[in-house]
Amino acid sequence: MTPARRAVPAGAPAASERTGRAARLRRDPLVRAVRLLQVRPGRVAAALLAGAGSLGSAVALAAVSAWLIARASQMPPVMHLTVAAVAVRMFGVSRGLLRYVERLVSHDVALRGMATLRTTLYRRLSEGDGAALVQVRRGDLLARVGADVDAIGDVVVRGLLPAGVAVAVGAGSVALLAAFLPAAGAALAASLVVAGLVAPWLAARGARRAEERSAASRAEVAATAATLLDGAAVLTVAGRVDELVDRLRDSDARTAHAADDGARPASVAAALQPAATGLAVLAALVLGAQATAAGTLAPVELAVVVLTPLAAFEAVALLPAAALQVLRSRAAAERVMALLDPATAVDGGVPPGPAVRGAGPDAHGPVPERRSVAGSAGGSPSAPGRDRSVADARRAPQLVARGADVGWPSGPTLVGGLDLEVVPGRSVAVVGPSGLGKTTLLLTLAGLLRPHAGRVTLDGVDVADLGRAEAARSVVVVPEDAHVFDTTVLENLRVARGDVTAAEATSTLAAVGLGAWLDALPDGLATVLGADATRVSGGERRRLLLARALVSRAPLLLLDEPTEHVDAGGDDLMTALLDGSLAPGRGVLVVTHRTGGLDAADEVIALARTGSVSRARPRQRAGTARDRDTAQAARPAGPTA
Amino acid sequence: MKPLDPRLLRRARHARRYVLLTAGLGAVTAALVVVQALLLAHALAPLVTREADVADVVPAVAGLTAVVVARTLVVALQERWAHRAATRAVAELREQVVRHGVALVASRQDADGTGAAVTLATRGLEALEPYFVRYLPQLLLAATVTPAALAVVLGLDWVAAVTIAVTLPLVPLFMWLVGVMTQGHAERRLAAMTRLGHQVLDLLAGLPTLRALGRERGPADRVRALGDAHRRATMGTLRVAFLSGMVLELLTTLSVALVAVGVGFRLVYGQLDLTTALAVLVLAPEVYLPLRQVGAHFHASTDGVAAATSAFELLERPLPRRGTAAAPDLRRAVVRFERVGVAAPGRATTAPHDLDLVVVPGEVLALAGPNGAGKSTAVAVLLGLVPPTAGRVLVEDDGRSVPLEDLEPATWWRQVAWTPQRPVLEPGTLRDAVGAAVSPERLEAAARLTGLDAVVAAAPGGWSTRVGQGGAGLSLGQRQRVALTRALVGDQPLVVLDEPTAHLDAVSEETVLDAVARLRSEGRTVVLVAHRPALLAAADRVVHVHARVEPPLGVGGAA
Repeated sequence: MTPARRAVPAGAPAASERTGRAARLRRDPLVRAVRLLQVRPGRVAAALLAGAGSLGSAVALAAVSAWLIARASQMPPVMHLTVAAVAVRMFGVSRGLLRYVERLVSHDVALRGMATLRTTLYRRLSEGDGAALVQVRRGDLLARVGADVDAIGDVVVRGLLPAGVAVAVGAGSVALLAAFLPAAGAALAASLVVAGLVAPWLAARGARRAEERSAASRAEVAATAATLLDGAAVLTVAGRVDELVDRLRDSDARTAHAADDGARPASVAAALQPAATGLAVLAALVLGAQATAAGTLAPVELAVVVLTPLAAFEAVALLPAAALQVLRSRAAAERVMALLDPATAVDGGVPPGPAVRGAGPDAHGPVPERRSVAGSAGGSPSAPGRDRSVADARRAPQLVARGADVGWPSGPTLVGGLDLEVVPGRSVAVVGPSGLGKTTLLLTLAGLLRPHAGRVTLDGVDVADLGRAEAARSVVVVPEDAHVFDTTVLENLRVARGDVTAAEATSTLAAVGLGAWLDALPDGLATVLGADATRVSGGERRRLLLARALVSRAPLLLLDEPTEHVDAGGDDLMTALLDGSLAPGRGVLVVTHRTGGLDAADEVIALARTGSVSRARPRQRAGTARDRDTAQAARPAGPTA
Repeated sequence: MKPLDPRLLRRARHARRYVLLTAGLGAVTAALVVVQALLLAHALAPLVTREADVADVVPAVAGLTAVVVARTLVVALQERWAHRAATRAVAELREQVVRHGVALVASRQDADGTGAAVTLATRGLEALEPYFVRYLPQLLLAATVTPAALAVVLGLDWVAAVTIAVTLPLVPLFMWLVGVMTQGHAERRLAAMTRLGHQVLDLLAGLPTLRALGRERGPADRVRALGDAHRRATMGTLRVAFLSGMVLELLTTLSVALVAVGVGFRLVYGQLDLTTALAVLVLAPEVYLPLRQVGAHFHASTDGVAAATSAFELLERPLPRRGTAAAPDLRRAVVRFERVGVAAPGRATTAPHDLDLVVVPGEVLALAGPNGAGKSTAVAVLLGLVPPTAGRVLVEDDGRSVPLEDLEPATWWRQVAWTPQRPVLEPGTLRDAVGAAVSPERLEAAARLTGLDAVVAAAPGGWSTRVGQGGAGLSLGQRQRVALTRALVGDQPLVVLDEPTAHLDAVSEETVLDAVARLRSEGRTVVLVAHRPALLAAADRVVHVHARVEPPLGVGGAA
């Protein structure tokens, strides 16, 4: 916060500084993410009340029992103590009960918020333009999104709520003490600030410092461990295991060193808790003793003033952990907002009009399957949609690329000046070694990415300008990393079209060579393909994705490496795809790095490293050895043995 | 795992030391807690009863100050050591897990695959930190402060001590009861919760696919519905799970309240003096505090405990026996497979099955057979990585014949160069990757033959270009070239080449043929896994490898 504060001229009114800070707060990713949780203030207040009531009970228990014992020592009639005795027992019960209520209410608030955030995330990502999708495609980002959303929800339960409770209970305790002896109240307030503000700040600082300093060596540890285990056999035979284990030990030692560094503030933060508590008690004892001697404080009240602070620190003791939670949640919020921002900011790519219309054609009848992904994907189950989509299949859309430069947004152009046509009844194969941008090319042709230059049009309209559903009615793309959903085989096919019948599914699976596989499945089409499709081998997955593309109504299919990992019969499958026997009457474009079965294609386009470098790649981009590899410039296509 | 697994202490030296230190600090803390309570009572009581003046309590205040300082130092020391010990103990375990995991994976004993081991070695074990830093100290405080405080209360006022002693066992008892009563329920709920949570993530992960198919709109409602269902399922679990926490809080706080009220009434009747009463009042919560903290940190520690348990399970999985005899010179020795079979773990397949072959020095031997016949496994047996489950492998030299598994692996591996289908490059320079101690002429010649020279020429730093972890930055074909070059420039008598696949990027057939010819001319023995006719033709002998799939047992026969 300091740099921005310095930026305000010395004489600037305080108001502008305040608004500046407020604006900065609004821009804080965590604040924005928490806002997206749309938590209801009423529920938060209820949780806060219960939490403050629970810890307040503990403070009250200490205060009242101190009073009870001090008063009892004066041997008053027992009658005078009954109220206090009942109150002590009551606080003994209310503490546990209210804590239970607080935990339930706060978790409910957080879970509701997480559900809202997940839905928002899904909506914005599905409605935004391709740029967001680009990020989504990369790595395990989405796998992490689940954990990140949870971390944002956690900040309510473990960060903000404990902070609110600590403020309420702290203020209450200070007020109680100040009512008896203002000086003792002030001492307690000062000690609470040390334990509740300084300690969490130190803890967070230590954690951040440890994290920053150890990030590099931690990554090294992970990478070395992965290298060792991935290459276990090779490294064992080559006799290099010991050497790499030594390297692992070194990186771990560096991590430990950095962690030690970060633990220093953390240990100070931890030590501040007993120190602050002790200080408050000692101050109360000394100040109280003087006040009692001076006659301004009753002896019985002295016991209350001295013993209450012992319980008052329980609330602030949770704050260092809360500060760490805020830190963690902020990092998660940054990632989630980074995912959301491009999705919402550049929304120009997909005008809403056609997209809305597009919900109709793929609609389908009632969903028989309980576990349906696509079952709910279609929107309204309107019957007329079916008629229209049959008509769609008879249409003859033309997908044309003219002088298209292909690449990720803000990345280098990978394939330059591409001309091609995909029309029903014609097959095109694009071959080239890995890493040349074949997948990028495919996504561009499907309208998921915009070409850097030139045009990709569907019946004369830029395909990226069409709504997703509109474009997908004519062109369906199956990227290499297409998802197999954690649901039944049939539902996985219905992802492409909601009304696929069991008979259609069976025949399509047989057509792509999965007949035997299907027969061997315990529940046939109703077999659930486990998480990460563990029941499916690499080759089977490819064929399943191909079957999914085939059951869609789109006349044009764009397929990414459809025969990768398909051991036996891969070339035959490719031939069947390209000679029209598998998808009669449709236009098929296949990108692959394999060369078998390609002679069945109507056209083969070869991408070569040298070719693409010379045509489209800016020289300065080609930085790595891989990029400049000229050893095996792809031979112009055509069948290789 | 138990709260404090002896295996953890056995496996991690730093954990052992840390537990000792923490136990020691726990004892000191116990003493300080007791002294603080007594000093506070002795300072406060005479002030309340007006038997003393401010000046009279100065020694007690001084003592209290000393205690506060001491407690502060103890906590600082504990925290400092906790982090230190946690990172070091985790590193110790990680090294063992990686070492043992490498041996398991290399000998194909690891059914879970390498992914699980990598996750365990990295993120999994990191979760031990909260266990070390938060949970363990409280556990040891519960073993020190709780009994010490209770003993002092007993000395002060046996009635209060009995109240506490009666409620104390109720804490674990009730938590156990609540746990038992709710366990089945919680587990069912948990399964539903995990499933729902996963389905939401599945939809998110499949979003690009849905988009590609133009079907991304509808599931938003489903994400919302799944989220609500997930919340309801989770809340159902939490309502039960938090019960044990509530019982803990309720019992401990209520007992403190009961002690306070009991002490108060006995004060009224003159059965106690105020000093004792105050000491008991301050000590009573201290008896329960560590127990409550153990409960509070229990959940934070479970991930780490689970990771440690899987680590111990991995470490206890046996490795194949290793021989001790020095391997004979492979320039002369013959390797003979006699009816060798390897049963695939967990599957009713033997691949290879009944494999007989002889590797004669100086010859080129090709292994042929369809995918899944066990060619790569046969190579792993030859390399001494995987022990055969049937038949035997003999190494014959000078008329003496030794089983391969009796040989010291390192002496065997020193004589073997192996080019697998997917070569791994450890981090270092290109030059390191092909072997450092080689004459430049030999290196250049080999690189020309494999096409690595073009890769080197294009690389920004030539031979000194750094290749990343796992050979990142090099394509599969380039890595194959590196591995092939490495085999060529080495002097190992036996070279095993797993045929590169038909990828466009892969090394070409001619290159492999040239390499085999070069190796043959140097008199080195070559074992080649090959599919293509041209490569098979280059071999002196071709051995066909086949698998056997056992009919499933007991399905029809058991009836």
